Amino acid sequence: MTWPDSIQEIIEEFQEIEDQFERLEVLMDFSSEVDELPVEEWNDSNLVKGCQSIAHIEVAIRDEKVWIKAAADAKMVQGLQGILSIAVNGSTPQTVLELTPAFAEEAGILVTLTPSRSNGFRTMFDMVQHRVKEAIK
Amino acid sequence: MGDWMKQDFPIFSREINGRPLVYLDNAATTQKPSCVIDAMSNYYSSSNANVHRAVHTLAGEATEGYEECRKLLKSRYNCDYAVITSGTTEAINLAARAWGEYNLRAGDAVILTEMEHHSDIVPWQMLAERIAIELRFIPVENGQLDMEAFDVALEGAKLVCVVHTSNVLGIRNPVEEIINKSKAVNAKVLIDAAQAVPHELIDFKELGADFLAFSAHKMCGPTGIGALLISEDAFSEMKPFMGGGDMIETVTLQGSTYQSNEHKFEAGTPRIAEGFGWAAALEWISKVDLESHHTRLLEIARDVSRQLKEKGMTVYSSLGSEDAAVVSFTHPTIHPEDFARLLDAQGIAVRTGHHCAQPLMERLGVNGTIRASFYLYNDESDASIFLSGIDRVLEAMA
Repeated sequence: MTWPDSIQEIIEEFQEIEDQFERLEVLMDFSSEVDELPVEEWNDSNLVKGCQSIAHIEVAIRDEKVWIKAAADAKMVQGLQGILSIAVNGSTPQTVLELTPAFAEEAGILVTLTPSRSNGFRTMFDMVQHRVKEAIK
Repeated sequence: MGDWMKQDFPIFSREINGRPLVYLDNAATTQKPSCVIDAMSNYYSSSNANVHRAVHTLAGEATEGYEECRKLLKSRYNCDYAVITSGTTEAINLAARAWGEYNLRAGDAVILTEMEHHSDIVPWQMLAERIAIELRFIPVENGQLDMEAFDVALEGAKLVCVVHTSNVLGIRNPVEEIINKSKAVNAKVLIDAAQAVPHELIDFKELGADFLAFSAHKMCGPTGIGALLISEDAFSEMKPFMGGGDMIETVTLQGSTYQSNEHKFEAGTPRIAEGFGWAAALEWISKVDLESHHTRLLEIARDVSRQLKEKGMTVYSSLGSEDAAVVSFTHPTIHPEDFARLLDAQGIAVRTGHHCAQPLMERLGVNGTIRASFYLYNDESDASIFLSGIDRVLEAMA
């Protein structure tokens, strides 16, 4: 499967790392890619349900492009949100709807995580797509 | 000391993420020695049959093996009635349904504590929904049960349910005092001993409780099997709540009569392979000097606790002389799940979260902790690898 360049780069970066600890460090580094959702904007509507730690994602469409702001209490969840931000920010709604979370599997990102957290990634991914779908209705 | 014992446990020959396994999640479940694995495997490969009714050889062997488990439970823990359940949770639910439902009335008080595992809270809340009993919770102050509050709550109580040793903090509660005081007001007592029996040998009759619930898997036995030990008095007041095969004496279309022994609470085909496995675990642990291991592990846990504090951690376990070797802690900024995942990357297994004790977490003012719990096969070298692992996490997160 081919991916947008930004995602392909992430996949290759993860595939090159063999040490599990280093993979997790790289995952956490992606937290810097998150456009942070301030605490005062956390609410039930942007709460990621089914995630074991506290996570929020706000999805907006500006100039026909998707932009997400996110926040989480755990650094690794922030890292996943960073990767999600790279995958969707600045893309058209149509492009975002055509994405699948399979890129995370291909990069081996989900393998590094417990099922609860890898499900958390899918939950966040699904939430973004669902909000985009609602917004363009 | 743990090294020679590790040889009994095949799992310690494997590596996790390229590192030798350091298993410190024993309060969740313990590893299994070869004799337990072999006993279960041998049952399936050479004695597999259903228990109790049939007259053929295999059924005889299956029955004998399964009932051997009950026999060992009765002799090790000195009790007359041992109902075999799926674990501590089912054992407590059994007490709530088979005793509570028939012996408690609307308005009767049942005492619980803030330190209970969810499995010793929810069954009583469910019973309260059905028959409107009153639940009184004993608060936890500085990690200990508030015994003054207990004395007050005890007035008019019909049942006291208390965790012997906390799965979160390792604290051993003053169960002897609680039982004595409860008996003085004719209240029945249920002890959640899931974290107690792995660490100390309990004499059920001498303890004087009415119910003692525990699981096999926390004492090197299989998952999916546990027991409820019951006093003669309480047993005579219980009625079966689950009907089916194996628990009956006669069945007609007009009605049924039940067995008079523990079988009346064990409807359906029981956990036969697990019974074989648990019997092997009980025999194995009977050769272990739990007391000397307790002292050894507590020393290791205290040293770990001291070093964690030096590294800036908040430690919630007080590790008193009778407590289990459990170290529950948090870091001021690093999320427990990030911490545990980075430890796992180094082959170190610990637990994080609320440990099925959310009311206690609320009392401690945290969402969750990181818990390192030590057991028989752990030694100083595990503690040292764990502490080095912590250092690497702190460096990475600095």
